[in-house]
Amino acid sequence: MKRSTAQFRLLLILSIMVVIGILSAQFSFRLDFTGDKRYTLSKATLDILKSLNEPVTVTAYFSKKLPPNITATKTDFKDLLVEYASRSGGNVVYEFKDPGEKEELEQEALQAGIQPVMINVREKDEIKQQKAYLGAVLKMGSQTEVIPFVQPGAAMEYALSSTIKKLSVKEKPKVALLQGHGEPSLNAMQQVRSVLSVLYDISGYTISDTAPIPTTYQSLLIIAPEDSFTTAELQRLDEYLAAGGNLLVALNRVQGDFQTSRGQPVNTGLEEWLSKKGISVEDKFIMDAQCGSVTVQQRQGFFTISTPVQFPYLPLITDFADHPITKGLERVLLPFASPVTNAISDSLIKVVVLAKTSSRANTAPANTFFDVMRNYTPADFPMSSLPLAVAVEGNITGNGNISRLVVFGDGDFAVNGEGREYQQLQPDNVSLLVNAVDWLSDDTGLNELRTKGISARPIKKELDDNKKTLIKYGNFLLPVFLIILYGFVRVQLRRRKRQQWMEQRYV
Amino acid sequence: MKAIWILTKKELVTFFDSLTAYVLLVIFLGLSGFFTWISGSDIFLIGQVTLQPFFSVAYWTLFFFIPALTMRMLAEENRTGTIELLQTKAITDWQIVIGKSLACLLLIAIALIFTLPYYITLTQLGDVDHGAVLCGYLGLILMSCSYIGIGMLASSITSNQIVAFLVSLLIGVFFLIIFDVLSSGSLGVMADIFHYLSISNHFESISRGVIDTKDVVYFLLIALAGLVLAEFVLAKRNIIS
Repeated sequence: MKRSTAQFRLLLILSIMVVIGILSAQFSFRLDFTGDKRYTLSKATLDILKSLNEPVTVTAYFSKKLPPNITATKTDFKDLLVEYASRSGGNVVYEFKDPGEKEELEQEALQAGIQPVMINVREKDEIKQQKAYLGAVLKMGSQTEVIPFVQPGAAMEYALSSTIKKLSVKEKPKVALLQGHGEPSLNAMQQVRSVLSVLYDISGYTISDTAPIPTTYQSLLIIAPEDSFTTAELQRLDEYLAAGGNLLVALNRVQGDFQTSRGQPVNTGLEEWLSKKGISVEDKFIMDAQCGSVTVQQRQGFFTISTPVQFPYLPLITDFADHPITKGLERVLLPFASPVTNAISDSLIKVVVLAKTSSRANTAPANTFFDVMRNYTPADFPMSSLPLAVAVEGNITGNGNISRLVVFGDGDFAVNGEGREYQQLQPDNVSLLVNAVDWLSDDTGLNELRTKGISARPIKKELDDNKKTLIKYGNFLLPVFLIILYGFVRVQLRRRKRQQWMEQRYV
Repeated sequence: MKAIWILTKKELVTFFDSLTAYVLLVIFLGLSGFFTWISGSDIFLIGQVTLQPFFSVAYWTLFFFIPALTMRMLAEENRTGTIELLQTKAITDWQIVIGKSLACLLLIAIALIFTLPYYITLTQLGDVDHGAVLCGYLGLILMSCSYIGIGMLASSITSNQIVAFLVSLLIGVFFLIIFDVLSSGSLGVMADIFHYLSISNHFESISRGVIDTKDVVYFLLIALAGLVLAEFVLAKRNIIS
């Protein structure tokens, strides 16, 4: 072959490969093999899209000049919109605008409520701060909703679907948060409030002694009351349930105080009311070997050392029922919880135990003293699978109306606290309460989507240290050992073969 | 096809008859096992049933492992002159390149098969995302193809194994680190090109459980480019100038 021919052939092949590369980057399709189909539209989204009567216009404001790693977010968002458009039968229409292009477009984006984010960009050997817009405005008829910032990943689908749902719901169902017995206000439950307000009109409500609780409220939430309920108030609750109202009770039956290291029972009268319905929240602490930890300050010489210590009074729940309320949840921390048992024998009432402790649990009396530094042994946890929450559905009051009731053996799991006491909660804690409201209000469409982005797959099996060490070193050494063994056997075989071969020749 | 297979088999047997295969496999499996189970952000520390720690370790170990495999392939034949001998047989240059690359790929596959105990252990510990694991392994295989392509090219241009090893590491560093650094935080067409060329973007996308044609084509193109160039270098000796 001549040199020029060979070079020409090489050049041709390489250019064809470049063309294939460019084409494949432009036109690609992907297959989603993740267990929870993270990158495929969920059924909830498809249902929302199918039920659209009017077209939704999505105007996405994305800056054009962005570093490639951020452009990926734009591409993902666009892919998602393409999918929405095709699955909605043309009811979702979208366009992309670049606010950096014209002053007017930037004003338009700002007025719609899209806030720019600042990112560092390298341009002409200088690091510059650059404004980037990554938001979208959704319109349906005369209504408008904004996604101020598009988060990368699976959360995109939730943002888009819930916003579309928000637009298509003409009147939001009402949800009441009971006040007047020392319950946390809506401001103390920021995370729950922001998720619930997407689909519900949520407000505080105080029971009046004379007027019944309006049944316009789809559900009534009683979260962590501290003071007693009057007989009249309990009667109002009965009437509300009898009229088909739905109730969520998250009860702190016991209270733990870290300052005094003491526990004590809380009596509100609600526990008696519940036990008449067959559900009892016992005045005991649940202890679980699978638990959260507290930080303990220790003085050692001149130093103060903070160490996290596992504290069984903060059970970490991973055993959930297959139920709309707990679908997709991985782990929920229920601090100072109590067992919730039920004695409902009516076959027409459906009872589901929503959450249970691990297989190594115990209970402690309400009046107790906590020793944070205590070393626990497996013998301290003889009980197993204690129930912590139930969902009840049916004719609870006995007058023929169907209502729903959810009872949690803990009141604080979804409370952020106010002011300096504010603390961020795990997403699953918030989802548990919000899913329960969805179930009570008979609208479980978005449950699945809410937990979709969370892909925690915790180690479920409880292992003691010996087993753990065995697994660790077993996995580390076994493959290495197998290789060496194979090498050794091979060498032996070859040696034997050579010996045979030599014997044949020379003997 | 038969010629390729004979050559592949011969190369694979050579690997296992010398110490090379054992040393490399022990190092690869030792490092992978150590960082997946015992130290670093291992499975018990993150408390999740995922093989992601293994994939991140293998992402780096393969980067050194493969050049060490491929460095011998053509450079050794060049040095001892056996390449001439091989070329007198009824076998084309292309078959030589493919046959030897296939042997490397099979050795990688064998190394990965030895990590199956990790996966089996995980299935006992909790719900494993099987799709993501499968895609992770596929990602490693595809990435190995690219490195083998680069390694074969490096091995073809020299008769010194050390030089071949260093050259393929050098080219690998571009794809693994430099293109990524160049693309992040910069703008324009060049940034997009660098972003496309960076291995990490494509590997991450596959190892999270999504197979995108774009990523598969990317890995195969790099592998092919390396092999085509290696074949060109080999064929040069037959060129009438």
